[in-house]
Amino acid sequence: MRRVSMTSNSRRHPFSSLGEISETRYWVYLLLLPSLLLLFLVVAYPTIYGFVISVREMRLTRPGLNGWVGMKHYISMMSDRVFWISLKNTAIWVAAAVMIEMTLGFIAAVALNRNLPGTRLFGVLILLPYFLPNVVAGHMWALLLDPRLGVINDILVRLGFLSSYKAWFADPNTALAATILVEAWHGFPFFALLFLAGLKGIPEDLYKAAAVDGAGSFTKFKLITVPMLKTVITAAVILRVISLVNSPDLLLVLTGGGPGNSTQVLSLYAFQTAYRDFNFGYAGALSVVMFFILMVFATIYIRLSRITKE
Amino acid sequence: MHLSKREFLAASAVLALAAGLRSANAATAINYWHHFASQSEMAGLAKIIQLFAAANPDISVTQESIPNSEYMAKVSSAVVAGGRPDTGMVIAERFADLTAMGALVDISEHVNTWQGKANLPDNRWTGMSNEGAIYAVPAYAFVDWMYYRKDYFDEAGISAPPKTFDEFLSVCRKLTDPSKNRYAFGMRGGAGGFKYVIDVMEAFGSPLVKDGQAAIDKPAAIEAITFYADLFRKEKVAPPSTPNDSYRQIMEGFRTGQTAMIWHHTGSLIEISAALKPGEQFATAPMPAGPKAHIARVAYAGNGIFKEDNVEAAWKWISFWGETDAAIALLEATGYFPASTAALKDQRITGNPIYAAATQTLEFGRLPNSFVGAAGWSENVVNPTFQAVLTGQLTPEQAVDRMIEGLEAALR
Amino acid sequence: MATLSLKDVRKSYGSVQVLHGIDIELEDGGFLVLLGPSGCGKSTLLNIIAGLDETSSGDIVIGGRSVSNLPPKDRNIAMVFQSYALYPTMSVERNIGFGLEMRGTSVDRRREAVARAADMLQVTHLLDRKPANLSGGQRQRVAMGRAIVRDPDLFLFDEPLSNLDAKLRVEMRTEIKRLHERLGTSIVYVTHDQIEAMTLATKVAVMKGGYIQQLADPRTIYERPANMFVAGFIGSPAMNFLRGRLGRGKSGWQFMAKDICLNLGRSKEKLEEQEVILGVRPEEFKVVHHDIAAAFHGKIDVVEPTGPDTMLTSLIGGQSVIARVGPRFAGRYGDDVSFTVDPTSVNLFDPQTKLRITW
Repeated sequence: MRRVSMTSNSRRHPFSSLGEISETRYWVYLLLLPSLLLLFLVVAYPTIYGFVISVREMRLTRPGLNGWVGMKHYISMMSDRVFWISLKNTAIWVAAAVMIEMTLGFIAAVALNRNLPGTRLFGVLILLPYFLPNVVAGHMWALLLDPRLGVINDILVRLGFLSSYKAWFADPNTALAATILVEAWHGFPFFALLFLAGLKGIPEDLYKAAAVDGAGSFTKFKLITVPMLKTVITAAVILRVISLVNSPDLLLVLTGGGPGNSTQVLSLYAFQTAYRDFNFGYAGALSVVMFFILMVFATIYIRLSRITKE
Repeated sequence: MHLSKREFLAASAVLALAAGLRSANAATAINYWHHFASQSEMAGLAKIIQLFAAANPDISVTQESIPNSEYMAKVSSAVVAGGRPDTGMVIAERFADLTAMGALVDISEHVNTWQGKANLPDNRWTGMSNEGAIYAVPAYAFVDWMYYRKDYFDEAGISAPPKTFDEFLSVCRKLTDPSKNRYAFGMRGGAGGFKYVIDVMEAFGSPLVKDGQAAIDKPAAIEAITFYADLFRKEKVAPPSTPNDSYRQIMEGFRTGQTAMIWHHTGSLIEISAALKPGEQFATAPMPAGPKAHIARVAYAGNGIFKEDNVEAAWKWISFWGETDAAIALLEATGYFPASTAALKDQRITGNPIYAAATQTLEFGRLPNSFVGAAGWSENVVNPTFQAVLTGQLTPEQAVDRMIEGLEAALR
Repeated sequence: MATLSLKDVRKSYGSVQVLHGIDIELEDGGFLVLLGPSGCGKSTLLNIIAGLDETSSGDIVIGGRSVSNLPPKDRNIAMVFQSYALYPTMSVERNIGFGLEMRGTSVDRRREAVARAADMLQVTHLLDRKPANLSGGQRQRVAMGRAIVRDPDLFLFDEPLSNLDAKLRVEMRTEIKRLHERLGTSIVYVTHDQIEAMTLATKVAVMKGGYIQQLADPRTIYERPANMFVAGFIGSPAMNFLRGRLGRGKSGWQFMAKDICLNLGRSKEKLEEQEVILGVRPEEFKVVHHDIAAAFHGKIDVVEPTGPDTMLTSLIGGQSVIARVGPRFAGRYGDDVSFTVDPTSVNLFDPQTKLRITW
C-alpha cells in the first residue's frame, strides 16, 4: 500500500486512484458490480418484462389494442377451459414423469454404484438418452411408436399384448401416458447421474455400522441412503420439475398438445398462445402463473424436506 | 522488424476493417428468411440465388432456413425484439398476420412500375395485398388436389376418382379393408389438419368470416364436421392413428400403401413420385366437390420486404422470384407450380398429365381464408377441437360451438 | 466377554491374496492391537472378524462359538469406526441406542442402557443433538457409546483415533484404556500408530503384506522384535541397524565393525562367526567420556534437542546412528563422541533372513 501511494506521488499514474481503491474493502463490491449488472440484465429484466406484459394487451396482429389491461388476462384465464385442462395435464405429466424417472434413476444409480465389471460402459450407455436433445428424442420415439412402422408396436403385437398396431398418440386415453413414458426414458439419466454422485458420497462405514447394529437392507435404505441423499433428491426433483414444467418441446414434437388438448400443458399452451395467436399478453400471464406455481412448489417442497430432516 | 502482440492485433484490426469497407462498397448484402427445408427445395433455392447473382453481381443474398413450424415464432420475435431480415418468404395463410404485426413493407410503388407485373394476373396479387397496398411478390403456388392409388382403384374396379363427397364416401367404403391394414383415406387429424376441416365446412356451405365478423353457419358446420369426422368415427375409412397424423404421417401412410387417397397440394408431388410410379401406382385428381361448394385452395406464396434498410436490393431479389427464369428453376427442382402465367405455359407443365388436375383446379380454386388471427384460431382451436370429435371427447355440435366461440375471441 | 481365536484365516480378492493364514488367540478380556503400515491387511482382518467381509478359508471363533457363517449382527460384536459412522439424521440418543432398537429391546430398557453408556462417556448433555453439531472428540465418544451400550462379547476398533488432533488423541487413548479396564471386554483394535499399540495392547500383532510378523505382548515386541521389519516399525526414532561381524573375543562373543567393538558376553546358544546386523534402540546409547570403556567411537553429525531428550546423530565408522541422550548434552557438530551400550539390550539380526538371532 505504501508503495502504491509513493508511485502516485512521484508520477501521478492514471490508475493510481484505482490502485488505492483496490486496497479498501469497497473493492470487493466494485469487482462484483459487472457480474451483478449482467445478472440483472439477463435474469431480472426479462422476468420483470414478463410480469409487465402479463398486465398489458400485447397482440402482435392487433397493435391497435395494445395497452394496460390490468388483471384482465388472469380473470379470463379462470374461465379458460384449455387453461384448466393444461393445468391438470401439467400436474399429471410432471408428477408421473418425475416419479418414474426418480425410480428408474435410483435403480440405475444403485446398479452403477456396485462397481461391477462393465459398469463403466453401462454407465455411459445409461446416460445416452439424456444426451439426446428433446426434439431428437421426440422424433425418435414418434417413429418407434409409429402406428405404421413402429418397432414397439411390432414387438407388442408379436408378443401378443396387442392384436394390431396401436396409434398411441392418437388416443386421448393413451396419449398422455405414452408421452410420459417417452419423457421418463429421456429424463431418468438425470436422476441416475445425480443419485450416483450422491451415493458415492455416502461413507461405506455407515452401512458397515448399520450391518453391525443389525439393520436390514430396507432399514439401511430408509435410515441411511434416503436421508444422505435427501439434499440431492430435493435438488434433483426441483430442477427436474422446473425443467418439465417449462419445456414444451417434447410434447410439441410428439402430439402438439393433442388429440383434443389431451396432452396440452401450460408451457405448450403459453408457447402456442404467443407464437400462433401472437397474443403475448395472455401468454405472459400464463407464464406468470407457471412462475408462481413453480415458486410455491419449490418453497413448499424445500420446507417439507427440511422439516423431515430436523 | 519485431511486432509486439499489441501492434500485431492493432494492425490486423485495421486490415480487417479495410477489407470490410471494401466489400461493403462492392456489394449490398441482404439476407433472406424462408422455410424451405427439403433437399429439392434447397436445390431450387440455390439455383435461384445463383441466377440472381449472375444478374445482379452487386447484391449478395444470404439465405437462412427456418423450420416451417417455427417460422412465425421467429418472425414475430424479430418484429418485437428487433433483428428483422431484409426479405422473407410470405405464404398466403400468414399474410394477414404478417401485415397486421407490421412485418412487411408496402411495395405497391415498386410493383406498379415493374414490367414483370404483366405475367402475374390480379388474382395472384389478391392474397398479397391488404387495403389496396401490395406487400409481397407472388412466386409460386400450392394447388390443392387429391392423390390416389390408381392401382388400388383399378383393383377395386373403380374407373374414375370421386368427383363429389358422396362419391368420395362410397369409394372410401370400397377401398377400406382393415384386415389388410388398408384404409381409403389418409385423413390429417394432427397438426395442420384444420385446413381440411375448414375446407369441408365451406364445402357444406358455411363461411368463416364476413366483414370481419365470425360468420360460421352452425347447422352447415355441424353437418360438415359430422360428415368429415364420421369418415374416421363411423365409417372407419381412415387409419386408427388419424387424430395424431400430420403431414409426415399421412405421407408415410400413402407411400407405404396403407392409404389409398390423401388430400394435399402440388408441393408433395416430387416426394410421392419418388416412392410411387406416376400414372401407374398413383394419379392426381381435383378435390371432390361438397354439397354446397367445390373447395380447393390455390395458395400463392411469395416474398416480401421485412425492413427498409436495403429496400432497392431487396426489391430486386423478391421481384426476381416472379420472373420466368426463377419460376422455372424452382419448378425443375421442386415441381412447385409457378405463379407467373408465362412460366405456366412451360412445356413441363402443359405436357405432364399429372399436372392436369392442378391446371383444372386453378379455374375454380379459392384463395385460403385470410383474416387476422386465422392461423392462431385454426391451429389452437380448430385442430384440437376437431381432434376431440375424432376421439369422441366432443360431439360435432359442441365442437362447432367452441369453434365459433374461439373465432369470436380471435376476431375481437 | 469372550475369547477370540482366528484359525488359519485366509482372504483373497480374485487372484490377489491379502491374508495368508492368520492364527491369533486372544484371551478373555485381552486387548489385541493389529498394527502395521497401510495395506498390510489389518483392516481387512478386522472386517472379517466383524463379518463385514467373508473369509476365503479358515475359522473365526468368538467365545467358543464359530461365527464364520454368521452375519455381523449375530456375532455379538460392536464396532467403532475411524469415521465414527454416526447416523447423521438421528439424535445422539437414537444413535447410541440403535443397535438395541434393531434387536427389539424395549424402550425403557433402551433408555436406561443409553443413559448408563452416556454417563460413562460423559455425553449425557449431548443426547438430543445431531451428530453434525458435535465436535470430533464428542463424536468419538458417541461412537464408543454406541459400541458399549450393547455389552457385546467383543469390541472392534478401526483406527478410532486417527481423525482426532494430537491432544485429543492422547486424551481419548487414555479414555479407551480406562474403558477397557472398567468393562473388561475383549477388544480388537486396528491402528498404524505404534504408541497406541504400546500403550493399549495386551497383545500386539504386527502385520505386513498379509502375514503376521510377530504376535506378542508389547514389551516383547519392543525389546525382542522377531525380525528387522518389526524392529524398525516399532519405536521412534527407529532402532539403529549397524552392519558388522559376530566374532569370538577374549570374554565371549563380540560385535565388530569399523570404530565399534562391543562385548556381548557368553551365550547359551550355538552361534557361528558371521556377518550380522546389530540392532540398538536409540535410548540404549550412553555417552561416555573415557574412551577406553567405550564400544562406539564416532563424530557428531547433528544435534536436535527436543526438550526432555536430545537426539544425537553421529557417524560411526561411516554408519549413521541416532542416540537419545540427556537434555543437557553439550556436544557440537564435528566433536568426537563415544558410547557404551548394555549388551543385554541389543538384538542381532541375520542380514540374509532379516530374522532375529537368538543368543
